Amino acid sequence: MNHPGILHNRHGASPLAIIAFIAIVALLIAFPGFVESPYARHIMVLLFLSTIMGESWNIIGGYTGQYSVGHAAYFGAGAYGTLIVMNAAQFDQDKLLELKDLAQDSHLSALLLSAHYLHPWTGVLVGMLAALTLSLIIGSICFRLRGPYFVLASIAVAEIVRISVLNLSDLTQGAEGILISDLPPIIIGGRTITDFSTKVPFYYIGLGLVLLTILVTWLVQNSKLGYFFQAIREDQDAAHSLGISLTFYKNSALAISAVLTSLAGSFYAIYIKFIDPTTVLSLDLSVQIVLISIIGGIGTIYGPVVGALVLVPLSEILRSNYLGESLVNSGLVNPDSAVGNFLTENLSHAHVLIYGILVVLVILFMPEGVLGFIRKIMAKKRLGRS
Amino acid sequence: MILFLQSLISGILIGGVYALIGIGLTIIFGVMRVINFAHGDIMMVGMYMTYFLFTLFGIDPFVSVLITIPMMFIFGGIMQKLFINRILGSLPQNQILLTIGLGLIMSNSAMLAFTSDYKILTTSYSSSSYRLAGLSISKPLAISFLITVAITAILYWFLMRTDTGQAIRATAQDREAAQLMGINVKRMSVLAFGIGSAMAGTAGALISPTYYIFPQVGSAFTLKAFVITVLGGMGSIVGATLGGVIIGVVESMGAAYISSDWKDVVVFTIFLLVLLIKPSGLMGTSRT
Repeated sequence: MNHPGILHNRHGASPLAIIAFIAIVALLIAFPGFVESPYARHIMVLLFLSTIMGESWNIIGGYTGQYSVGHAAYFGAGAYGTLIVMNAAQFDQDKLLELKDLAQDSHLSALLLSAHYLHPWTGVLVGMLAALTLSLIIGSICFRLRGPYFVLASIAVAEIVRISVLNLSDLTQGAEGILISDLPPIIIGGRTITDFSTKVPFYYIGLGLVLLTILVTWLVQNSKLGYFFQAIREDQDAAHSLGISLTFYKNSALAISAVLTSLAGSFYAIYIKFIDPTTVLSLDLSVQIVLISIIGGIGTIYGPVVGALVLVPLSEILRSNYLGESLVNSGLVNPDSAVGNFLTENLSHAHVLIYGILVVLVILFMPEGVLGFIRKIMAKKRLGRS
Repeated sequence: MILFLQSLISGILIGGVYALIGIGLTIIFGVMRVINFAHGDIMMVGMYMTYFLFTLFGIDPFVSVLITIPMMFIFGGIMQKLFINRILGSLPQNQILLTIGLGLIMSNSAMLAFTSDYKILTTSYSSSSYRLAGLSISKPLAISFLITVAITAILYWFLMRTDTGQAIRATAQDREAAQLMGINVKRMSVLAFGIGSAMAGTAGALISPTYYIFPQVGSAFTLKAFVITVLGGMGSIVGATLGGVIIGVVESMGAAYISSDWKDVVVFTIFLLVLLIKPSGLMGTSRT
């Protein structure tokens, strides 16, 4: 089996790699300081989001070899958990103020009332817990199955979750989805952030989560846990015969992956401020999560980063209709002609097309992903030189 | 009692079309061991083909099956030659991802060409029905069921009685042994994918008078096709036929007695139970 992970596994990183990593992180931290354009910041946030999703899936799919095509369930758990609690908390807060007015002079009753005050950001934790619980349930059902049957079962469970959220409209507002107008203030490092319009808070939250997922992946890769995961991926019967508990380690990998994915869902929910079952729980989302790692290169730390770097700009060019408009503006295509109409009207609908084309190309021509492909070329060059 | 019979009959009628989708998927799996995640999208292509044959040329959807079958056969054959053939020996995960990618390309190309608007194919008989002893039987569903039965019968005859059919079955049973017996297994794979696509396309044509036509219609049917084939036993044609009818009935009973919002949950729960309790399905032989 051709898995790049095992070949390139190293205990420590070279000093050069560490310096490069720190330099890139420093650049990323400084980025919002000298780039004011909201669109550029938006693209960066999308890149971070894709990277978080890809890294999270990579732990169960890339390192443990269990291709879950139902990760939208965990993403949705994070997104719904966050916004449901946030809405409820804001509601409580309003009620609290009302009651405070009534009981103005009694400090005691105000104190009693504040016991009911639910912090709006606890939803993120609720989402993580929901994803964790869900992953344990899904794991206990699906890990009895192997290969393609596991893939099918993971899809089926995610679909059950989606339909349930769609129909439990008392809690989730069903197909209408949940919309929030304002985000409650957040306290990070002693600073209270209330202004989200600059996108800067999202930028740093996203960057922080990216670093967190990379750290978790690095820890997994360089620990016993990670070796067990990879042993299961390479040959689960052999791993089993060596005394590695398949159920325990597969479930651990899924749980880590699910909790991180739920964070991606929470991040998406507070950034977009609107969620519904089609955007955060659909099969399409599950597939996109898988493809980020596959296109970049599975079972490697930077594979999902590369995948996000390839996918996000390409699909954004299609989505924002930049391609169609620039063709029209440059005078190459007459905007009133059928072709011009077609380009401006339809192209933006089909931004997922790029995912399809890329995955077919990757599977056929570079089964180790873009990162694996680049490494191969570099290795060949090195061989040629020596 | 009327409700029971009514849902039983409409379940069996729609089950016929489901069976056709399932048979297509199971033939492809049987011969190539590839799970085709693009199956519903191939069906979507069949639906659009039927829609345009009707709106542009006025060809009745049930007559247009005669055009759809050969066209979809060629479509599937080309797809096999260009893509599927290259990954027959690779990891099952990669095969799944390739077909997912092909499905995305098909559905998004359809979106590019026809936008995501719902299209409805309205024939003069779209909403008419036969009445029989207090039961109403939808006319388009009844006709499509009869066509399904005819096509399934022809396919059975082809697979059981003709040399090519036997060669396909032999390939499905044991690819290497079949090759040693002088069967051109590569050609059989192309044939099988062509037949599978033709079945999916035909199913699309048959339900187009009673269903919305839109680019993403495929994914729901891909999932249904899996449920049907796993229930019947991967690779078994009799199983897929049976599975299709069972799922059709379960769906319509679920809609009648539980609620139409939750009918898919019932279907997926049965699917999970089958996977856990008897992964080989009703008609499948257990395979490790």
